[in-house]
Amino acid sequence: MKKLNIILILAVVGFAVYLSTLTPMEMQGIQARFLSFLSPFLRTGTAVQEQLGSVGAGLKTLDELEAENRKLNEQNRELLTTNNLLRETEAEINRLRLALEYRERSVFRLLPARIIARDASTWWSTVKINRGFEDGIDVDQPVLTDVGLVGKTTTVAKNESIVVLITDETCRVGAKIEGTREQGILSGVRVQDSAGIGELQLNFLSKNAAVEPGQKVYTAGVSNGVFPSGILIGAVKEFRTRPLDGQAIVEPSVDLSRTEDVFVVVGAK
Amino acid sequence: MKTALGLTLTFSGIFVAFLLQEALPPVHAIHGARFIFVTMIFCYAAMVLPFPAMIAVALYTGLLSDLMYLNIVSSRVEIALGWSIVFFVIVGCIAQGLQPGLHRGHWWPLIPLSAVATSGYLLLQFGMISLRREEFVFQEAVVWRILAPGMLAALFSPLLYLAIEWLNRFFPGEPKRVRGY
Repeated sequence: MKKLNIILILAVVGFAVYLSTLTPMEMQGIQARFLSFLSPFLRTGTAVQEQLGSVGAGLKTLDELEAENRKLNEQNRELLTTNNLLRETEAEINRLRLALEYRERSVFRLLPARIIARDASTWWSTVKINRGFEDGIDVDQPVLTDVGLVGKTTTVAKNESIVVLITDETCRVGAKIEGTREQGILSGVRVQDSAGIGELQLNFLSKNAAVEPGQKVYTAGVSNGVFPSGILIGAVKEFRTRPLDGQAIVEPSVDLSRTEDVFVVVGAK
Repeated sequence: MKTALGLTLTFSGIFVAFLLQEALPPVHAIHGARFIFVTMIFCYAAMVLPFPAMIAVALYTGLLSDLMYLNIVSSRVEIALGWSIVFFVIVGCIAQGLQPGLHRGHWWPLIPLSAVATSGYLLLQFGMISLRREEFVFQEAVVWRILAPGMLAALFSPLLYLAIEWLNRFFPGEPKRVRGY
């Protein structure tokens, strides 16, 4: 092998070793700058995907349209009834909230964001959103929807951020089960079933915990933690007893493969 | 001149392949395995470009790959920046060894090379994650997610070769002798 080639290999490997010695903060800084550079391409890709999707959605047969119309009419009647019932409930809730000053204690300042790219890698569950530090987003801020918890921000660029989803094994959340004193640490699993809604595991519960399928799971709000207390995560699907502890399998309340609009909790109101 | 043009096209092609990979959803029918085009394009480039140009492409591909998929959660890095560069340099050196064969018209080694490099890349990622998380998880889906992209790369690499050979006719230079297999 030529001398020049050996020098080239050594130089590149040396550079790679230097990169691997950077601190996580420095690596995140480089990734954030790269993400800012990539942003216009990602946004264009999303726009094209949306356009293509809308073209596909428009191509329906008359039978399909008729069936859809019938279904929508039924849904409309149902929603009108539910809406009337909810109006009464809403008034009652508002009265109670005011009485308990609940709003001051638990309402967050939410920043709406849109998912511009999802699940780009084989082993990590992440999405990219169209908000960054220019919008007031910081690292480790909770991301949620009206239905429940989505994840937290990791790398934050100028106008984009990466969000690690709760279905990822590295995203750990202190969680509690509704109606019990049970608390544990919730995380995703290494390899999620790509076709399903995803699965979470809530570990370190008591072996004899009275946990039933269907019970709701909320964030526990650990002190100095990322996630505030009381955000819905999902519902218990199954409870398993292990030699040292109990484990609940939880189904996330948010369908993370379909969600397009999210909110980032940027602080308290 | 032709090397500079090839290098520019390779850089652009790899960048577009990264964007395409980002946009394409996982294939549910094969346990969520994904299309990975970058390794295949890199293998082709490494087989046809001169050594210094191959090193430049390895540096570029590795750096882009690390930046695209760097996962840092709570200040914990799972796969540090830089390791992909080393991986692509190794694959590139192997591909360079196949270059004399390619000049004689033996292009088919691109197929196994693309397959092995693509699956090897995913296997290495999985191994490093498992070491970092101090737990090895072995599921059917893991095998699919490692092997299926390699098989897809093997399937697409002849198409890539033929497409580039066809495009090659429009650029000046000595035509290459290709032996059919």
